[in-house]
Amino acid sequence: MVGLTVAEFFEATRKRLGLQLLSQSLHSRSRLVNDMINRPQLALTGFLENFLWDRPQIFGETEIRYLESLSQQECGKALSQVMAFAIPCLVITKGLTPPPGMVALASQNEIPLFTTTMDTTQFQHEVTAYLEETFAPATMVHASLVDVYGVGLLFTGRSSIGKSETALDLVERGHRLVADDMVTIRQRHANILIGSGNELLRHCIEIRGIGIIDVQSIFGIRAIRGFKRVEVEINLREWDDAEDYERLGLEEQHTTILGVRIPLVSIPIFPGKNITVIAEAVALNYLVKAYGYHPAQRFSQNLLETIRRKRTLAQLAEGDPE
Amino acid sequence: MYEARVEVRNDPGIHARPAAILVQTASRFSSEIHVATEALEVNAKSIMGVMMLAAETGTLLTIRAQGSDERAAVEALVRLIEARFEIEA
Repeated sequence: MVGLTVAEFFEATRKRLGLQLLSQSLHSRSRLVNDMINRPQLALTGFLENFLWDRPQIFGETEIRYLESLSQQECGKALSQVMAFAIPCLVITKGLTPPPGMVALASQNEIPLFTTTMDTTQFQHEVTAYLEETFAPATMVHASLVDVYGVGLLFTGRSSIGKSETALDLVERGHRLVADDMVTIRQRHANILIGSGNELLRHCIEIRGIGIIDVQSIFGIRAIRGFKRVEVEINLREWDDAEDYERLGLEEQHTTILGVRIPLVSIPIFPGKNITVIAEAVALNYLVKAYGYHPAQRFSQNLLETIRRKRTLAQLAEGDPE
Repeated sequence: MYEARVEVRNDPGIHARPAAILVQTASRFSSEIHVATEALEVNAKSIMGVMMLAAETGTLLTIRAQGSDERAAVEALVRLIEARFEIEA
């Protein structure tokens, strides 16, 4: 089923958000289905159009002070109007005291009511961070992810083409393995992809002919990494005479993962070719480009200038027989 | 594309050895083959992937193949799983 139950949300965040349950039960009529939260301010004044009731409602100082300014009857009316909606849960921040009747109303309407001593802004940041992480689009890819000079290289290609062997070779040369074979990729913010491994497989690699190798126990803690931003995809493929491989690097290929565009480098494989060194070069090339220097463009520009200069000299020579 | 569903019958499920047999069998076919539980879909030629399913007895698996020998591949894997990995793979 989609989403998160309020009980699951509470279990996962009670420590980090300092949540305490005020109402009777964790049972709620609604689940958390996205990473949004809401401050019910205008809804409390009776303006219920566009009331975003399907999100956790945060009661900060503004809400509580407003309710306190009302007569007991008005306050009860404001709250029951809002809490008639199947809100997943309510949170009062800053350890503020709930107005009279609010706790009972929450229990009655099966809306778990929490309190936290956290400051409202801080709470909103923390809860949003947790929800974004939980509801981030994710996918699993058959690939290996290695941190090479701080660049996250994702190796893809058909089964047994040599992804794991390349990863092992890179680890041997001092780079860090994030995951082999199965990589979970999550989207963070608009254009960041974060890759990680699986708890069961941890940092194990399968090498044909040997079997399973535990990278952490062999190479130690410096050889592994829990998460890494996925920055470049390296697609390993068999050498194909019919295919035209990139010779200049002026045009960059791209691939899209979860809607995020990242550079794609296709590397043909044949015996005697050192993929590891090529992978390191890809990472370093990515870095120099990130720092504003584009080797292929620079080279092409130099070539153009040389040609132009020669032509100018030739024209000069033509116009002046001396 | 050809697919079939099969229930894991051996006890306690697809642990390391059955996973290895499954992957070896799958690797004999040229088709792209995937095994899926309700939660997860993995490449049937990847031992790590198949182990990651952690499929216990009674789990319903979907085997999906695409390629020139897709039907034979799916049938071979279904036979293997139904025979509790006890047949000559």
